[in-house]
Order: sequence, then C-alpha cells, then structure tokens
Amino acid sequence: MPAENDEDLALSRRAAAGDTAAFAMLVEKYELALRSFLVRAVGADHADDIAQEAFLKAWRASAQYDGRARYSTWLTRIAWRCRLDALRKERAPVQVDAPSSSVVHSREVDDMLSRLSESERAALVLCDGHGWTHAEAAELLSLPLGTLKSTIARAKSKCRAMWEGA
Amino acid sequence: MTDNFDAFLSSVLAPPARDPDRQFVLRLQARIALEERLAAERRTLTNDLLKQLAGLLAIAAGIFCIATSAAVTSLFAEAPALVLAVLLAAFALVIALIAMRPGSTSLASLN
Repeated sequence: MPAENDEDLALSRRAAAGDTAAFAMLVEKYELALRSFLVRAVGADHADDIAQEAFLKAWRASAQYDGRARYSTWLTRIAWRCRLDALRKERAPVQVDAPSSSVVHSREVDDMLSRLSESERAALVLCDGHGWTHAEAAELLSLPLGTLKSTIARAKSKCRAMWEGA
Repeated sequence: MTDNFDAFLSSVLAPPARDPDRQFVLRLQARIALEERLAAERRTLTNDLLKQLAGLLAIAAGIFCIATSAAVTSLFAEAPALVLAVLLAAFALVIALIAMRPGSTSLASLN
C-alpha cells in the first residue's frame, strides 16, 4: 500500500472514531481536486453541492475506507454516485453551467467541454487533467476499459476539431 | 500540433494551484456538527420512546392483572361504577405522570 494511502487510512480511521479534525485534514487535502473535477464534469452550479454531499457520505462511511485505492479515487467514486443519484431524481439532462470564478479556466475551454457528453467530460478530465489511470476511470464511470479509451479519444478529437475550427 | 494541443488540454484540465478553501472546510464541518447533533437527538428520542413503551406495557400488564384478580372481579360485580371510576383515575394518573416527566422532550423543542 502506498505511503499516501497509509496516511489517509490513518486519518480516515480517526474520522471513523469521531475525530472531526482528522476529517478536516482529508477535506483540505482533497477538496481542490474533487471540486475542480466536478466543476469541469458537471458544472459549477452543481459541483459544490455534490462535493459537500460526497464529503458528508465519506465522513459517515469513514470506517469503510480500507486504503487499497487512493482516497481521492474512493472519494470521487462517492461523488460520482451522488451525481448519478441526483440525475435519477431530476430525470432530465442537466446543462453544464458556467464554472465558478474560483477555478482557473478559459471561456473557450468551458465552451468546448460543454459540447461533450458528461461521461466524455468526466473521462477526459480524470485521465488527462487529474492523472487517473484508464482502469481507475473506467471503474468509476462503469465503462469497459476499451470503451473508456475510445470515449477519451473521441472527446479529444471533438475538442481538437472545435479548437482548430475556432 | 497534436502534442501541443494535448499538453494544452492537460494543463487546462488539471486542478488549479491554490491553497485549500478554508470556507468550504468550515461549512462542511458545521454541517457535520449539525448532522451529529441531529443523530444524537434522534437516538435520545428513540431511546425515550422505547422506555416509555416499555413502561406503558408494564403498567398495562399490571392493570390487567389487577382487573382480572378474583377480588376485583367480585367487586366489579357488586359495584361496577366504583371499579370503573378507580380504573379511570389510575389511567389519568399514568397519563399525568408521563406528561410531567422531567426528561420528556417535545417536538417543538427540537426546532
């Protein structure tokens, strides 16, 4: 198990025992990556709500984190399930909103990403922006590995075409 | 061209470099504290309810035993009004005792 996982596992165990300070350290460590992924993947209006919901669920389920996966992977999986639950409740496709001003971005990139499907955005952001492996992203998005790779290739190709056409 | 675009895309999709958002952490901590408090309240209410149910069942069992005893049955045959009055008074006393419990929590107090 990587040393970082060990450290996060220790914090998560302390959180499971009710130590809110330990959990705050995990939140401080991972809120940036999670929120920036969500802003890119689902839009700024939903990102913070989903991130907060995901952290709350992570707090309640702290005892279930076993350190085998990275904490960020475990947390993002929870957030993605929150997103899917919200979509099921809404029962309607949600448009991607303008990202929040707290995240560095360019309008062109936001516009480009908004034209991709949500799974294309998520796959692209995780693998190209956040350094996830294809296997990790495939598991998160419940896609076969080959499908994920072709999803990313398609998303990149669309982005490139839009970028060059702009 | 392609390499440049890939590098550009990776750089714009990467998480921005910034310090942790303390406001977000504080908001989350406040929400966790609220959830914990509500969970504790729910546990207390459930425990109280179970204790009250157990108490009521014990009282009901006691009243049933007394009401079916030979002495009460014969008294009921002789003076039913008196026995009914005694049972009603006992019932009112139980209700009053439950309502006056020092630890009893009303729903309004949770708001």
